[in-house]
Amino acid sequence: MIDTPWPSEFITFNEITRLALALMWAVLLGELLHRHARCPRITGYALTGLLLGPTGLTWFSAPEFHHFKLWVDFALTLLLFELGIHVNLRWLFANPWVITASLLESALTFGAVFGALSLIHAEPHLAAFIAAISMGTSPVIVMRVASESRAQGQITQRLFVLTALNTVYATVMVNILLGNLHAAFKGNWMLALMHPAYLLLGSIGMGIALAIAFKWLRRYFDFSNEQGGALLFGLLLLLLSFLEAFDLPILLAPLLGGMAIKFIDPRPQLWPRYFGTAGAILVIMMFILAGSVLTWDGWIHGAVTAVVVLAVRSVAKMAGALSLAPPALLSMKQALSLGIALSPMSVSALILVENVRLFYPTLGNDIANVVLTLMILLELISPSLVQAMLHRAGETLERDP
Amino acid sequence: MGLPPFATSRPLTLGIELELQLVNTHDYDLVGSAADLLRRLSRQKCPLDIKPEITQSMIEMASGVSHSYAEVLAQLTEIRDVLLENADALNIGICGGGTHGFQHWGERKIYSTSRFRFLSDLYGYLAKQFTIFGQHVHIGCPDPDTALYTLHALSRFVPHFIALSASSPFVQGHDTGFFSARLNSVFAFPLSGRAPFVENWQAFETYFDAMKKTGVVSSMKDFYWDIRPKPEFGTIEVRVMDTPLTVTKAAQLAAFIQTVARYVMVEHPFHPQEQDYLVYSFNRFQACRFGYEGTYVDPGTNEHRPLQEELLSTFNLLESHAMALGTADACAALRQGVLSGDSDALQLRREYEDTKSLPEVVQRQCARWRSA
Repeated sequence: MIDTPWPSEFITFNEITRLALALMWAVLLGELLHRHARCPRITGYALTGLLLGPTGLTWFSAPEFHHFKLWVDFALTLLLFELGIHVNLRWLFANPWVITASLLESALTFGAVFGALSLIHAEPHLAAFIAAISMGTSPVIVMRVASESRAQGQITQRLFVLTALNTVYATVMVNILLGNLHAAFKGNWMLALMHPAYLLLGSIGMGIALAIAFKWLRRYFDFSNEQGGALLFGLLLLLLSFLEAFDLPILLAPLLGGMAIKFIDPRPQLWPRYFGTAGAILVIMMFILAGSVLTWDGWIHGAVTAVVVLAVRSVAKMAGALSLAPPALLSMKQALSLGIALSPMSVSALILVENVRLFYPTLGNDIANVVLTLMILLELISPSLVQAMLHRAGETLERDP
Repeated sequence: MGLPPFATSRPLTLGIELELQLVNTHDYDLVGSAADLLRRLSRQKCPLDIKPEITQSMIEMASGVSHSYAEVLAQLTEIRDVLLENADALNIGICGGGTHGFQHWGERKIYSTSRFRFLSDLYGYLAKQFTIFGQHVHIGCPDPDTALYTLHALSRFVPHFIALSASSPFVQGHDTGFFSARLNSVFAFPLSGRAPFVENWQAFETYFDAMKKTGVVSSMKDFYWDIRPKPEFGTIEVRVMDTPLTVTKAAQLAAFIQTVARYVMVEHPFHPQEQDYLVYSFNRFQACRFGYEGTYVDPGTNEHRPLQEELLSTFNLLESHAMALGTADACAALRQGVLSGDSDALQLRREYEDTKSLPEVVQRQCARWRSA
């Protein structure tokens, strides 16, 4: 029943209003940066998150992030799935140097970051988790920038593969470290071994199930049209719900599922990139929300360590790419471009931090201070770096601004 | 630099050049990876004759000088295998076919050498449109006059060569209705078409010098003729064929050309004349557009008959020469294709019917290239 023709109470706007405005603002800022500074649009999305988050206008903070986390997870699932399909396992068997380079690059990153943090007297658990998370390159930034500049070629292809693989290593490593912590704190060594094994095997199983379902559906549907696209959305949402039901990490199964699909069904994959507009919007939302988790506290406590990690990680990734350039059939110039293009970090790192925070809030917060600061810095810098490196490798397509 | 002297070569020796497509294995679009592949091939122990082409998604492989069909087939097969091994390591797909079915010319990039840059500046978008894939066959000639005679005599068989090799029905994502749409891209060039009718080398030199004086050309490379003399090699080069879907077919086509060359060199069945060229463009168009079902106008008698019929009677004329050259099997295989009306272009169309997807057609082209 209404008493007055207009709302009688104070008019209040909810978080949807803020999210809507943020979305529009992100697009405008992204476009502005793209046209006038030639930055990838994704830089504008990250900057929006930072400006509207706790360290800026405080429109968003951790509660909103958790409220909308499903969107973030889903956007990530779509992207990881698509990245997985870009990884041709047959190629990895045909050219073992790719895997070798990938392992070396990640091991160097882990070792260098862990070593550097130990030198500045970081607590070993903290150092190990940060080192593990640092191994991963952001699939979102890499794919987004490559798609925006329509990059194609050896470096783009290797960047995709190394990104996919180091995301897997980072996730697995974080879970092994977690298992280790469970063992130390709860004294349950069986759990320490079994839990990471469950997570890995469970993810592989889910990935394979996804691949089989995908191949079966492809017999009846063309995923490049709208109906097929909707079907794929549904399939991936179902996967996400299964992952939550079984408590499996969301970073592994979509990625492994994509790889499995390319392996069992090598036919060309043709659905619209990022599943068209819907996927693009999810990516923007994801970036705004991810930018809103860093607090002033995080900046203050994490900045110095983050800068150390940033420097060491960049050098390690570059060294990793360069050291195996000749046998991996790259020129030095190409390898350097690849090493630098591996620098991005973003939402997948955040997901890993949240993963730790769930079990060990104090340690999780300490990790978050460093990793989220690092993530924000890289979200702002690395898209332009990736763009520049793909361009330098001659793999982008010149396009009107 | 004038025209180099005509080198002598053993009559009827063979050489084949094949322009190939480089595609990615994700969506099977062309990919600009020629430089990566060439860098890797340069570390090969026994160097192969593999060169870049005008855009970065093309590569050209060439046989050495061969004496027989069997020899050239063995050579091509070996080169193909080395190429595939290296392409596999880079996750690049390689395939035959005169055009890529759905690439967009605007996305191509010019391979960076001074000549390709020059051509790109001169021809503009035509250079990128030139991302088409042809087979060139060299036939050794004992002396320059024989070369010119053979060149003009072979001109009568240009429709035959086109129809037998046609493998480019799809361009920029659409079925053109042509069997060889590739040649339409060649005709856009100002110096394409037939060679001028001169019958001896001295006259040819005079023609070349006159052309050079106009400032329009500086070397033989500037002529995009269907058949042109290659004085450095002592050969004539037949350039109208699409790259077939397999090296076997490429070797068969070369064998057929070699056999026709022997037929005209040995039998002198007719004397070429300028008049022959009245029907040349018509015949060539018919072969490109309709394949075996095109109309062939006999330049000697002006009789109209289906190209299929003309091809079959040509095979009959060649029988003894095919025996002598050891190309009987190759000719028989091609003849079988003509009889059944089958061609690479039709196979590609069938695969499109089957898959409704040009990327899948390209994927199958890659598989076929690997298989035979």
